[in-house]
Amino acid sequence: MKTFMALLVLCCIASSALASEAKLETVKVGIDVRTVERGVDAVMNACRPCHSMKYIKYRDLVGFGIDKQKVDTWRGDQPLDAALLAQMSESDAMQAYGKAPPDLSLMAKARDGGANYVYSYMMGYYVTPEGMPGNHIYPETKMPDILGISAATEAAQRTEIQGKARDIISFLAWAADPHEQERHRLGYYVLGYLFVLTFLLYLVKKQIWSRLK
Amino acid sequence: MPGRIIKWIDQRFPLTSFVEHELTSYPTPRNLSYWWNFGFLAGFVLVLQIATGIFLAMHYKADTALSFDSIQHIMRDVNYGWLLRYMHSTGASAFFLVIFIHMARTLYYGSFRTPRELLWWTGQGLLLLLMATAFMGYLLPWGQMSFWGATVITNLFRATPFFGDQVVVWLRGDYTVGDATLSRFFALHYLFPFLIIGAVAVHMVALHSVKSSNPSGINLADKDNIPFHPYFTAKDFYGLGVFLIVFSIFVFFMPDSLIEPANNIPANPMQTPNHIVPEWYFLPFYAILRSVPNMVGGVVAMGLSVMMFSFMPFLDRSRIPGGAHFRPIYRVQFYLFLLDMLVLGYVGYIPPTNQTLLIGQVATLCYFGSFFLHPFISKAEERWMRARGLPPELLALFEKRPPREKLTREGEAA
Repeated sequence: MKTFMALLVLCCIASSALASEAKLETVKVGIDVRTVERGVDAVMNACRPCHSMKYIKYRDLVGFGIDKQKVDTWRGDQPLDAALLAQMSESDAMQAYGKAPPDLSLMAKARDGGANYVYSYMMGYYVTPEGMPGNHIYPETKMPDILGISAATEAAQRTEIQGKARDIISFLAWAADPHEQERHRLGYYVLGYLFVLTFLLYLVKKQIWSRLK
Repeated sequence: MPGRIIKWIDQRFPLTSFVEHELTSYPTPRNLSYWWNFGFLAGFVLVLQIATGIFLAMHYKADTALSFDSIQHIMRDVNYGWLLRYMHSTGASAFFLVIFIHMARTLYYGSFRTPRELLWWTGQGLLLLLMATAFMGYLLPWGQMSFWGATVITNLFRATPFFGDQVVVWLRGDYTVGDATLSRFFALHYLFPFLIIGAVAVHMVALHSVKSSNPSGINLADKDNIPFHPYFTAKDFYGLGVFLIVFSIFVFFMPDSLIEPANNIPANPMQTPNHIVPEWYFLPFYAILRSVPNMVGGVVAMGLSVMMFSFMPFLDRSRIPGGAHFRPIYRVQFYLFLLDMLVLGYVGYIPPTNQTLLIGQVATLCYFGSFFLHPFISKAEERWMRARGLPPELLALFEKRPPREKLTREGEAA
């Protein structure tokens, strides 16, 4: 028993030692159409030059309820069924950055910490004392500080950039899990049904077992 | 009319007598607790996995260039594809949870003891089949963790004496995990559940021959048995309702908590993830693998750690009937073992450091120690309990208890 107590104590020490990784900021993801629409707009301007979102089609945006006219301006002469591909070719990206920028369709689910990670990463840029760009969350990143958070000094400017990042995250979260709202809605019905069913099954069980003396 | 049809069938096939023998007059101990629900739940999850799996297979492509995309196609475009896929991925975890509880119950109540050894061993076979099926299924989404998990685990077969390298190539169908591996894992992932059904049938035959154990761990008199139907069908379905509530909370509200984030990145053989972790149900065994510094030793230890449970009927030397209910030392041992499993699981989950390596090694020693010392502990416990004086109901049984070989099929004295 003492061994195990000692083990438990050791486990606690070990877990606190592990917690030294960079802390992630918590972001409140918006699920309403307006926020996501602003997010798409920001992604179209800031991210799409390099990043693709190959699992998202323009039609999906319309299906979600985003203004058709806006979608039309984003897609230009591409068909509605076209995926949101990067404007830069992969070989150009390889030349410029040394590696292809990752696809963003699943980005909000593809890192430990999910949306919080992506938000903290985008807000994690800073300028080193030597005047070089750095990032607290992902120091080896090749991506430039596209939203300009490291250069923003005024509080109002930072708030604006943070709001924009939140919009982007909201879109990425929707893109990674487009059926989330539908899933939750259905989930409430299923759970409601199961609670009633289980209660009835409990009554049946009680009734049947009451025959035993 | 239905009566006439059944009569027609009964003249040609033992339908009514089968249902009577296995269900409506199958004798079941009336004191079974809710811990006895988990065998039925395991059967239910098996059916659920097969049903969702067959529909997923209709949309899935076993091809390294297409499989990741085909999963996204299922998640986004197929009608209720997300539901099928999340039920299947959550179902894998549910399967292991239910089986682990089922096994813990067997260990706690001593259900593996005479005459249920074969029942226990067929269950062990089922566990191995389940682990193989889950492992192969995990490769199919072709994410980073799928690829690297399969690479690490197939690589372990290098420990095979003489033919190690050949065995690895033979398993993968290539020098690395690739298209050949993915195709064969898909074929086998589709086949194994049906082998599991066969093994479940054997498990059920064994069960219906020796009948269920019960919380007292003592064979009950006939008057304490009640027919399975309707009493336990009603109880099992109530338990199923509770299970489905928990299951649905995961499926609908937190399905991604059971999917490693790195598996949302397509497999990339050129880039190893920072930290390769198996699914939670393999973590304790993975921790044992990592605790042994030598690779061959680690593989042997990991294999043995799964197989150890099979030896329990031999390792338990106590003649005190029943399970932990009547055996205070065994009970403490049981809870310490559960704690040890949790420690191992934790060690398997976090990235290895010197500290956690040491914890893992101590926990591995405790794991094997609790099995290898069990013959001595159980014998000492028996002596200690008899010196203290057994409770009268146990004493009567203890003195009447025949030597092992004289047990009849029904588990009663010849």
